[in-house]
Amino acid sequence: MYEYRIEVKDLNTWFGEKHVLKNITCYFEDNSVTAIMGPSGCGKSTLLRSINRLNDLIPGFRLTGQIFFAGSNIYDPDRNVYELRKRIGMVFQRPNPFPMSIRENLTFGPRLHGIKDEDELERIVEDSLRKAALWDEVRDQLDSPAVHLSGGQQQRLCIARALSVDPPVLLMDEPVSALDPISAGKIEDLIVQLKKEYTIILVTHNVQQAFRVSDQAAFLYMGELVEFDKTKRIAVAPEDPRTEAFITGRIG
Amino acid sequence: MNRTDDEREREGTQAGRLWTVLSEGGTRLVALGGRARRLTRREVKDIVFKLLVALMVLIVVTPFFLLLARLLSVGLQDLVGSGPGQGWELIATLPGAALRGGVLNAIVGTTVLVLVATAVGVPLSVMGAVYINEYSRPGRVRTAIEFGADVLAGIPSIVFGAFGFTFLVAYLGLGLGALTGGLTLAFMMIPTVMRTTQEALKQVPSSLREASLALGATKWATTWRVTVRAALPGIVTGILLAVGRVMGETAPLIFTTGNNLGLPTGLVGPESWVASLPFTIWSYIMDPRPYLQVRAHSAALVLLMMVLIVDILANYASRRLTRRIV
Ligand SMILES: Nc1ncnc2c1ncn2[C@@H]1O[C@H](COP(=O)(O)OP(=O)(O)OP(=O)(O)O)[C@@H](O)[C@H]1O
Ligand SMILES: [Mg+2]
Repeated sequence: MYEYRIEVKDLNTWFGEKHVLKNITCYFEDNSVTAIMGPSGCGKSTLLRSINRLNDLIPGFRLTGQIFFAGSNIYDPDRNVYELRKRIGMVFQRPNPFPMSIRENLTFGPRLHGIKDEDELERIVEDSLRKAALWDEVRDQLDSPAVHLSGGQQQRLCIARALSVDPPVLLMDEPVSALDPISAGKIEDLIVQLKKEYTIILVTHNVQQAFRVSDQAAFLYMGELVEFDKTKRIAVAPEDPRTEAFITGRIG
Repeated sequence: MNRTDDEREREGTQAGRLWTVLSEGGTRLVALGGRARRLTRREVKDIVFKLLVALMVLIVVTPFFLLLARLLSVGLQDLVGSGPGQGWELIATLPGAALRGGVLNAIVGTTVLVLVATAVGVPLSVMGAVYINEYSRPGRVRTAIEFGADVLAGIPSIVFGAFGFTFLVAYLGLGLGALTGGLTLAFMMIPTVMRTTQEALKQVPSSLREASLALGATKWATTWRVTVRAALPGIVTGILLAVGRVMGETAPLIFTTGNNLGLPTGLVGPESWVASLPFTIWSYIMDPRPYLQVRAHSAALVLLMMVLIVDILANYASRRLTRRIV
């Protein structure tokens, strides 16, 4: 097994009585982008949020099967979930910066995990912002409120915030769907940059976007993993008729 | 081109509308009278509605200004005069012989009572609200607590006074004084502060909590460093509104504080008996001596000013906090 590769094995999840994910088995390669596509309500977010155990907090959520991260099952009863979430960053659909200054948004995570040295924090702030291609735009206003930034800048700040605790894996749940096309383009470029260093799992509604940025693609339909392969292959010749229907815009 | 009458009418009023906008306020009526045929129904409705709202606002604020005028017309002589207990002496001296001095005892008393009430009431209500909102599952217990708090918030303050007397004074044997009075005021604050805090917490989007958890924060850290912090402006406003309100309460204090022409020297026992502004105003106004009638009015002005100061602080604090974090 690879150091950080994520593997999902026989995953089934329920919200109450509702069986949401059905027998999902797949893996996510290191230093590449895997897109999870599928129509609304098919379980994309649920799959993503199972990988950092964010679903655990929802009353009535139940899960069977395993998800391996760096070789060990993240659902082991004695697994430290806080340490896990530190190593699996997440970016949400709507930009959700904390109502604090830009700087505080980026020191929040590191401080939680015990980094107190101001120089070290300063370095993390700059590093994360540079990686998120935001440094040049905000370097002079680090102490102003994050919510004064534009939507696209806020989303890049959220990416920087996820990177601030130095996770090898980045989960992104439709990160550009709430943004204008120009901001969306910037973030797509950023994703392509980031995959050099990170394992990225990108949920998207947008087939063209998945084809542009991803290396592998998974197609979910009503909780089932219908197709999972290299993006190039799926783009040219989808195997399953449902995948074809989705990428040609007939469902979704 | 088949233009409707309405369209033509609207075009015709362009200049008229500009004119109306320029001559705000009273001239509206003239416009209404002089150009009634040119105004569309909608515009007429708009103007009538605006006048109606203005009238309502006038009705709502008039009592306050009448009250202020009354207080000033009687009480101002105490604020500007230079006799005993007037001018600075009003707020800097004790009543003394024949109550001719100032009301320092009441100012200190109200301050002490409010401080005790805040010190006890605020932590309890904020933590209660955090527990209910962030930790308890939605369901019957939560609904019951919320309902209970709403009922408590609507209970007349004299009932809190009676409760303070029977529970704190008689049952717990705390006696009259600053602690008992402060606790009684705290009981009054708790439901309101708890509910306003809850409302403020509900305004915090759950995606902020998730963002924090996804960074590896514990529930505890998320609650205090993200959720409560984001809700802080609303929480502070709620606290200060409640403080302003209990500051002016007389009824809960009648049975619980005793009275004192000097300053309290303790929190419990006979030496902790305190005066308060509302109580002092009430007892002075019942007194036939004319100068005490006047003093009651000037004391009311002092109380108004104290509430005003709390209000300004409330505004300032919540604006500072909002600017810092939002
Ligand atoms: N908190 C929840 N409680 C109950 N059911 C839920 C919850 N979250 C999701 N579900 C259900 O699980 C199913 C999958 O939801 P999910 O959010 O994973 O879909 P999705 O593929 O991300 O859709 P979208 O493209 O609209 O974001 C849906 O039918 C939804 O109703
Ligand atoms: Mg989703």
